[in-house]
Amino acid sequence: MHTNHSIFCIIPPYMLREIVQNGSETQRVAALQALYSSEQMRGQRRVVKSIADIMAEAVPAGNKQRAIYNANNGSQLPGTLVRTEGSPPSMDPAVNEAYDGSGVTYDLFFNAYGRNSLDNNGMKIDSTVHYLKGYDNAFWDGNQIVYGDGDEDLPVANRLFNRFTIALDVIGHELTHGVTQFEANLAYWDQSGALNESMSDVFGSLAKQYQRNQSADQADWIIGEGLFTSNVNGVGIRSMKAPGTAYDDPVLGKDPQPAHMKDYVSTIDDNGGVHINSGIPNRAFYVTALELGGFAWEKAGRIWYKTLTDKLQERSTFQQACDLTFAAAGEIFGTNSLEQQAVRKGWDAVGISVSGATPSGCLTAVLNSFGLT
Amino acid sequence: MRIIYERSGGFMGLKSSLTIDLDELPLDQAEALRTLLGEANLISLSEDPPARSIPDGFQYSLTIESEEVKHTVFTSDVTMPASLRPLIDELSQLARMRRH
Repeated sequence: MHTNHSIFCIIPPYMLREIVQNGSETQRVAALQALYSSEQMRGQRRVVKSIADIMAEAVPAGNKQRAIYNANNGSQLPGTLVRTEGSPPSMDPAVNEAYDGSGVTYDLFFNAYGRNSLDNNGMKIDSTVHYLKGYDNAFWDGNQIVYGDGDEDLPVANRLFNRFTIALDVIGHELTHGVTQFEANLAYWDQSGALNESMSDVFGSLAKQYQRNQSADQADWIIGEGLFTSNVNGVGIRSMKAPGTAYDDPVLGKDPQPAHMKDYVSTIDDNGGVHINSGIPNRAFYVTALELGGFAWEKAGRIWYKTLTDKLQERSTFQQACDLTFAAAGEIFGTNSLEQQAVRKGWDAVGISVSGATPSGCLTAVLNSFGLT
Repeated sequence: MRIIYERSGGFMGLKSSLTIDLDELPLDQAEALRTLLGEANLISLSEDPPARSIPDGFQYSLTIESEEVKHTVFTSDVTMPASLRPLIDELSQLARMRRH
């Protein structure tokens, strides 16, 4: 070990970090020791902290790390650790659903897009179940997912919601909020917030389709199927195929989502209607995916993933999402490819037209400037 | 005294609200709520506008109103002071029971 040490001492820190991440087990240990002792000598706390980060991140690619906690109906997060990666199933279905669902979502992102966890760096995925009592919700708090039990504490006749882990697309939705946070970081209000929501519905739905091995035309495109009990008149929380039609119930009211830009809802509630107006980009994705056929995560999903990770920014609008998905499709599949045309059709269906430096757009602009159109 | 509870946001983006007039409640229920209100000491909490929401997080608005005072507090599950939690949980349960 000491010989290793002396060799590693002359290797620059950035290379040691490479070895820590990619070397064999023996090399990693030696490199870590070398890094640690050299940084200690220099007394740089900042760098020592970065070694801890490297150790946390030094999980082989494609190796999921999940942890499930139980809040025991309280509000303290994360709660009691109840299941870790590779440990046997629990007697508690919520624990297993959170574990399995985050596994499927991880697999979709890794196998379809080569993404290693939420931060693309092997981040451990933490989930807490049994949050509070009678809690009809699930959320992403910036670090982890939190699930409520719905109305499972009430008599069956009074229940509207089942536990929130019951629907795989809800799990995929929440995890995608984590991906978005590390990528475009779409601000959670108005159109950028509705895009944030839509990305979560897109990859949540794709996680479900991936697990069921369904093609675009076989999928139901419903978000949160199984979340409502039979006391509710509805098939789920949202419909990507037909926004506004998921439920119509005497207690919960009617699904408020618009399916077209002409019905865009201006409101101060719900951070400017982020869960309402997401119906518009949701349907644009659905139409694109149906147009392309096959497994939606392969082409449409890849275009949207590239847009989320390479193109969208914090305050992006629907129009920009339209133009950027169009650009992403051109980069991946070629200008004027069938894929790029499908993206244009998807947004046309919701009343948003591709603008900017497309060939036809340029030509139109030139013709316009000469008064020829 | 009146308590006005509103909850918005969440995975569904649905609004839920509840207005309670303590003078119209059975004495024991009113007393229980007064105790929780006392523990929460709402007046001592700032009336700052709601903070930026976390994805799918609920946002709560809580107002107490009487002839002498009107005070509104905005909060969320992850920013809520511990003193406020029992009151918000109780009101959330009451709102859930009344939705039918």
